[in-house]
Amino acid sequence: MMKLGGTRIATLGLLGAALIGLWKALELESWGFDGPGPGFFPQLMAGICVTLALVVLVFPGQAGETEGGDTDDVEATKESNRTFAIYIATFAVFALGAMYAGFVVTTMAVTIVIMRFAERRSWFASIGYGIACAAAGLVCFGWLLRVDLPEGPIERKFYTYVR
Amino acid sequence: MEALLGGFATTLTLDNLFYCFVGAFLGTVVGILPGLGPLTTIAILLPITFKMDVTSAIIMLSGIYYGVAYGGTVTSVLMRIPGEASSVVTCLDGYEMARKGRAGAALGIAGLGSFFAGTVGVIGISFLSPPLAELVIKFGPAEYAMLMLAGLTMVTYMSSGSLPRALLMAAFGLLLGTIGSDPLNMTPRLTFGILALGDGVNLVPLAIGLFGLSEVLFMARQKPDDMKVLPPPSHLLGFMPSREEARRSVGPVVRGTFMGFLVGLLPGGGAVLASFLSYGMERKLSKHPEEFGKGAVEGLAGPESANNAGTAGAFVPLLCMGIPANAVTALLLGAFIIHGVTPGPTILERQPEIFWGVVASMYIGNVMLLILNLPLIGLFVRILDIPRAYLTPMILAVCLIGVYSSNGNPADVVISVIFGFVGYFLRRHGFDLGIVILAYVLGPIFERSVRQALAISDGDPTIFLHSTISTGFAIVAVLLLLAGLWPKKKKAAG
Repeated sequence: MMKLGGTRIATLGLLGAALIGLWKALELESWGFDGPGPGFFPQLMAGICVTLALVVLVFPGQAGETEGGDTDDVEATKESNRTFAIYIATFAVFALGAMYAGFVVTTMAVTIVIMRFAERRSWFASIGYGIACAAAGLVCFGWLLRVDLPEGPIERKFYTYVR
Repeated sequence: MEALLGGFATTLTLDNLFYCFVGAFLGTVVGILPGLGPLTTIAILLPITFKMDVTSAIIMLSGIYYGVAYGGTVTSVLMRIPGEASSVVTCLDGYEMARKGRAGAALGIAGLGSFFAGTVGVIGISFLSPPLAELVIKFGPAEYAMLMLAGLTMVTYMSSGSLPRALLMAAFGLLLGTIGSDPLNMTPRLTFGILALGDGVNLVPLAIGLFGLSEVLFMARQKPDDMKVLPPPSHLLGFMPSREEARRSVGPVVRGTFMGFLVGLLPGGGAVLASFLSYGMERKLSKHPEEFGKGAVEGLAGPESANNAGTAGAFVPLLCMGIPANAVTALLLGAFIIHGVTPGPTILERQPEIFWGVVASMYIGNVMLLILNLPLIGLFVRILDIPRAYLTPMILAVCLIGVYSSNGNPADVVISVIFGFVGYFLRRHGFDLGIVILAYVLGPIFERSVRQALAISDGDPTIFLHSTISTGFAIVAVLLLLAGLWPKKKKAAG
């Protein structure tokens, strides 16, 4: 029986994504009166993706070396697992914050969570650095360079003063 | 030659030199800073140029375009955040060099290689434009489709992992590229009714997720002692490449330059394809292929030169045929037209001062880029001294700005986070993510070419073998697929 290693789990994920893609692509017209339709290419690619995923599932082959050291097993300790889990939680804060809270709140929250909880820095350093990152981003990018930043109440208030 | 000297006479006025400097400077800054792509910057600055002299305006806008090619290198080397698709390859070995204390050397080699490639590219434009324009015009949809197929096959063949894995990554990238509106009739595809996917998965969240955010997860996984970056040398010359690094860079720079220029001539992501092909070629040619992905200087020098030569090459179809090679040159074409310049075969006869003025400004712009960037390397590498606790929030803030501002859509941030996890998981298990980006970038052109060719032939697939050019590319693709399987068989037999 095949051993379900990390490579095969990753391939199963890709296979799942390709199958979903194929299912949705099959709903599209593959050929119209003027030639290949919108479904032609997605169906072809999803089909190839499914086939290749099945091949890799059976014969995983040699891992790529382009990402130096990535595939090396890192010795997981209780502390490293904890740090990693907090970083994953930070990503959720990052995504949700960008949707609902704006740049300043998101940047401060992400910085404080990482520095205080994952890296065990002091509250003072965490909050101070969070404010510094948020302020630098808002002033340099949002105001001076007029780059679009996720907007929340703080950004809107700030822009009414400076723009 | 006389015409080129005339171009120098046009450029070497105080006004035009100033605009050339402003363009090169802005380009570098735009390349370094997230959120401001060349497309956005040119679009923002375009109205400002309306009242400027036509030559000055075009010199400045062109300067932004080729300045970005160098600026994107800095974040790729120091933070593993690719500023643009063609900088993705730079992340692989440039970032590893930086971790080994060779950030200065990496940026120095990139700067010098880019200067050489840019200069040769401009010489190429000067002397080869007319004959090359004639060659490129022979490419129809079938030829493009087969070229894209051959390019993708070559990159998968040159991948260090097994061929099926590399092909799977290419197919995955092509499938990702089909999400969103159909390029020909705008039918929504694979969007699952999600409005945010109406325009497809954008390149910036995809690249920043797969490379930048996945790197943060890798950093989080490591113990602080394991991820210590060797400090760069503090003395001034320590930032320069060593004699050995310089020697090892010469061949890749020369090869990357010529390949980059030729591939850059082709519409549709020429510089991106060139940088990937150069990386693969250098790995195959190297006596130490095992060093690739771990800080091989050849893996940085070749693609960086190819990328910059490709940027110069993209000006040939733009100036000589009026065909834009990518979105940025398409905007430049718009700028030309707004200013009353019609790029095409007649530009050399009707408005030679503009053509040669732009070409001459590129020579000068390349010198300016070198002068501008080399002294700043020492400043840039200081970023590496920052401890993880301070660096990761900064990277996340930079990623947030870059992803959000690319489209002003918060859903892109969610998409980038999803691809951050996907990238982390795939990288951990030895899948080559660079191929995903390349396939994603080339996918829409590949699809359009395939569909147009099949529509022309009324569904007859032999159209892909009708011309010598397309047959040649098809043969290359098949041979590469077979060659990709061959060493594995030999290894298995051995």
